[in-house]
Amino acid sequence: MNQRNRELIPSFSRPPSRVMIRKVARYEEDLLALIYESLREFQLPVKDKTIFLKPNLVGLDPQGVMNTHPAVIAATRETFLKLGASRVLIGDGPAMDRDTQAILESVRLREFTGKLGKDFCDLNIDDVERVELETRATRLKELFLPKTVLGVDFLVSMPKLKTHHWAGVTLSLKNMFGIVPGSCYGWPKNVLHWAGIDRSILDINAAARPDFAIVDGILGMEGNGPIQGTPKAPGVLLFGDDPVAVDATACRVMGLLPEKVDYLARAGTMLGHVEASKIQQLGEGVESVRTRFAVLSEFSKLLA
Amino acid sequence: MHALEMPNQLERASHSIQRTSQLRNDCLSLLKSSQNADGGWSFHNGEQSRVEPTCWAARAQESGDFAQIWHFLQFSQLADGSWPASGGMTTGSWVTSLACSVLQSDPKSETHVAAGLKWLCEDFPRDSGPLRRFFESLRPKSKIVSQNTTYRGWGWTPRTASWVEPTAFASMTLRDAAPQQLPANASQRRELAVALLYDRMCPGGGWNCGNPRVYGVDGDALVLPTCWALLALVGSERAAQEKDASEKPGGPLSLAWLQKEFAKIESAASLAVARMTLENYAIEPPPAKRDLQDWTAQELAEQGTHVLAWMCMALNPSRRWPAVLPRSTKGDAQ
Repeated sequence: MNQRNRELIPSFSRPPSRVMIRKVARYEEDLLALIYESLREFQLPVKDKTIFLKPNLVGLDPQGVMNTHPAVIAATRETFLKLGASRVLIGDGPAMDRDTQAILESVRLREFTGKLGKDFCDLNIDDVERVELETRATRLKELFLPKTVLGVDFLVSMPKLKTHHWAGVTLSLKNMFGIVPGSCYGWPKNVLHWAGIDRSILDINAAARPDFAIVDGILGMEGNGPIQGTPKAPGVLLFGDDPVAVDATACRVMGLLPEKVDYLARAGTMLGHVEASKIQQLGEGVESVRTRFAVLSEFSKLLA
Repeated sequence: MHALEMPNQLERASHSIQRTSQLRNDCLSLLKSSQNADGGWSFHNGEQSRVEPTCWAARAQESGDFAQIWHFLQFSQLADGSWPASGGMTTGSWVTSLACSVLQSDPKSETHVAAGLKWLCEDFPRDSGPLRRFFESLRPKSKIVSQNTTYRGWGWTPRTASWVEPTAFASMTLRDAAPQQLPANASQRRELAVALLYDRMCPGGGWNCGNPRVYGVDGDALVLPTCWALLALVGSERAAQEKDASEKPGGPLSLAWLQKEFAKIESAASLAVARMTLENYAIEPPPAKRDLQDWTAQELAEQGTHVLAWMCMALNPSRRWPAVLPRSTKGDAQ
C-alpha cells in the first residue's frame, strides 16, 4: 500500500521550510559528527522508524564527482541509527546501467558502510506497485514504483550537486528519477523523457514525496552534467525538510536562479518553497559559500 | 616445470572443477526452490512473479517440469500479443522478446509466440517515424547527439525510442524464431536493427545503452549492453562486414573491447554474461580480477533471480548462448 502519496498542500498554506548549509572541505572530515549535529537540529520523527536513503549512484566514477560520495551515505546511515531509527535502507535504480552491483563495486560503497545484505535495495528490480499520478503534470496517468520506497516511514533524497544537460540542475527532486524501476521502464527510463523530464520530476515527487534532502556538494559537477561535466568544489552539505527549498537553496549556492529552473518553478506551487523569504536559513549563509557553476549555453538564462 | 608442481596443478584444477560444479548445483537448486506457485519467478523471494526473471530462470533450467512455466507465460500475455514487465501493467514491453524466445521451445505455445512476434514487428519506435524524420530534417543539425534515425530498432517500452539492449533482444528473438512464425517484415526489421546496433556502437568498440556520443563527448561502453549486442550480431557479422566493411569494423573491435574489459569486471552479472558471450565467439575468457566462484548461490540470489540464472548458464560447460531448450515435437518440452 502506498503510504507516501499524501495530500498535496499548496505552497501559500505551507509553513516556512528549513534548510541548513554546512561547510565541509573534504570527505575525510568527521562527517558522522557533522551530520549527526546537523540532523539533531531538525528533530526528525525517526525513532523506531524505517528510513530509506536514496543516493545518486550513476556509474563508474574515479574522480568521485558523479555519485553521492559513499562517505556521506555511510555517515548519514550511521546518524539515523544513532537517532533511533530501527532500520536504514539504502537504494537506487541507476538509469544507464542495469548492473547495479558493478556500480556499487566501482563506488566502493561497502568499504564505507560495511556489508549491507538486504539493507541495500536495487530499485530497478524491486517489487512494484501501481501509483496513480494525481498531479497529472505529464500525460502519464500512472507509474509502477518500488514497494520498498512506497512503504518506508521516512524517505531521504541524497543527490550530488550537479548541473544537468536536459534539466538545468539535478538535485534532490531530479534524483528521484532513480526510484522509477528500470525493469519496467528500461535503462534509461526513456518513457519519462518522452513524457517530459521537467513534468515527470513533478509527478514522481508528488507520488513518492521525499521527507528530507541531503545534498552532497562537497565536490559537485558543472557544465555538461550529470555524467560528463567538470568537477567543481563548493565544499558544502545541504540539509532540509523540504526538498524543493533545499534545491532552490542549492541553486543559489551554485549562482543559479531557482525560479528559472522549469521544474523547480512548478514545484514551488505545490510541493514546497522556492522563494527565499519562505525558507528559514540555518548554518552558513548562501553568500558565504556561493560558488558559481558553469552551465551549457542552453541554460544561460539560469545564471544569476 | 618441476616434476613436483604437476600434481599440485592437477589438484588445483580438479578442486576448481569441483567448486564450479558445486556452485552450479547450489545455484540450480536455489533457483528451483524459489519458483512461485503460479509457475513464475520474481526478482527476489516472496515477491510477485514477473516475466523477465521467469524467462531467465527458464533458460537456466536443464530439466524439470516446464509446463508450469509455459502456463505462467501464456497466462501473462496481454491481448495484443505483448508481455508486460510486471503484473498489473496493461502495456507490453521489451520482455516480449524474452517471452517469445523461451516459449519457442513449447509447440503448444505456437499461437502465443506468433502473436508476440507480430506485436514486436509492428512496434516501431516513435523517434524514427517518417513524419518525425521529415520535421527533424528541417531543423538545424543537432549538436546533442549524432545518430542515424533511418535505422530503427526497439525501445524498452512501446512508441518511445530505439535502445541497444531491447533492440538486441528483439533481434535475437527474430533470428532464432521458426521461419514459418515470422511476420512478413521480420527480416527487414532485423536488418534495420543490425544497422542500428552498428550505428550506436561506441567509437572505441562496445556499446552503452545507445548514446555513443553526447554533446560532442564520446560515451563509455558498458559490459552488459556490449554482450547483448554482440550476441545479437552473431550470424549477421559476416554479412555486415561484406556490405560495409570499411565503415564498420564493429564486431571485432567490440570483441576486443570486451576481452580487455573482462579482466576488470567486478560484478557477478557482468562476469557471467561476458563469459558466455566470449565463449559464444569461441574466445577463451582471459584471466579476470574476479572469478565466478567468488560468490555463493545465496549472494547471487540477493542480486536477483536474473543474476542467479545467468550464473547457472555461465557455469554450465555444455551450454552456449542462446540457451533455448531444444524444440520438442511431442508437445511437452523438457
